[in-house]
Amino acid sequence: MGLIIELIITFIATVAFGVIFSVPKRALLIGGAIGMITWGILQTVQMAGANPVVSTAVASLTAATFSHLLAKRIRIPVTALVIPGILPLVPGSRAYFTMLSFVEGDYLNGLEVGVQTMLQAGAIASGLVLALAIFSFGKGIGHRYEPNR
Amino acid sequence: MGKADDVMDICMLAGEIMLTYGAETYRVEETLERIAKSASFKNVHCFATATGIFLSFEENKEKDDLMQMVRIDDRMQDLNKVTEVNQVSREFVSGELSIPDAHEKLLAISKAPMQYPLWVIHLAAGFAGSGFSYLFGGGWFDLIPAFIAAVISSLIVVELERHLKVRFAAEFTAAFSGGSVAILLVFIGLGNNLDQIIIGSLMPLVPGVPLTNAVRDLMSGDLLAGMARGAEALVTSLAIASGIALTISIFL
Repeated sequence: MGLIIELIITFIATVAFGVIFSVPKRALLIGGAIGMITWGILQTVQMAGANPVVSTAVASLTAATFSHLLAKRIRIPVTALVIPGILPLVPGSRAYFTMLSFVEGDYLNGLEVGVQTMLQAGAIASGLVLALAIFSFGKGIGHRYEPNR
Repeated sequence: MGKADDVMDICMLAGEIMLTYGAETYRVEETLERIAKSASFKNVHCFATATGIFLSFEENKEKDDLMQMVRIDDRMQDLNKVTEVNQVSREFVSGELSIPDAHEKLLAISKAPMQYPLWVIHLAAGFAGSGFSYLFGGGWFDLIPAFIAAVISSLIVVELERHLKVRFAAEFTAAFSGGSVAILLVFIGLGNNLDQIIIGSLMPLVPGVPLTNAVRDLMSGDLLAGMARGAEALVTSLAIASGIALTISIFL
């Protein structure tokens, strides 16, 4: 029950973020749905026992995959779907507590939470990159040698 | 040189709109090269960074070279305009649009107002802020103060950016006042979890567009643009953090 309420709130918040970034109207609700899926995956993987960094990476990969698939179908830039989609993963809470610890002079705790924040941000990026790598397969921009020239 | 000049105008206008309103660098380069190639120009090269675009092509083999650059001063976020320019370029490349028509459409896009009025955006910032304050562990009673604080920080960042020439000062002030309003509201008894309310008031300021674009640019090989956007996102986050740190050390 708690998860359902959280999912509804995530949907509303993600659509609101879509309005802030002014994504096209036909992509607003789709972006909200992707955000909802992202939050659902994050919570489910965390409940299954994975640590926050791993679950963030999985959720980010899911969000980016859905965005790539749907963006091709409704013909809009992938960014317009990815940006609202990964927003529920942003470690805003951890970043705030990092700063709070530093302000209060508790440097050790600040460093600990700060490292967690950086790792979670890195996990979001790695999910995005993995999806990008999957969907640009066959375009071959990074070949090291040119054997068939 | 008539056609070459016209195509160059279209390319530069399209690139300027896309880069200003938050497209990734690789998308700008690809779009401009596609437009120029579809108009049957040879030797097309485009180089874009976060603050400028260079484009060169030649009309005939080894003569009539053309090269122009535009400088991008403002960086705003309006993904709708990026999508519309993308659509125009797709239609132009497939031959559905003539050169004058494409130019007219691009001019219309660049002059068009935002698709949402400003008050809708402020309202959306409120909903986003209060929603995230709940998701990060706040209670039902915290939704109202988080809404108010997020609307205020969104109002301040938009209005200040219009008048201030200094970047990042608007974010700093917005974070400071959003945090102050949150502390004030909790002090007079509206809301229980101060931490979650403050986080909610900061969420509308998160630099989502530069962050995502930085990752995308770095991975597609635009190292310069990727580092520039990453630095922009980093400085924005630092401005927000120092604004909220100032509030906390003054009022708590």
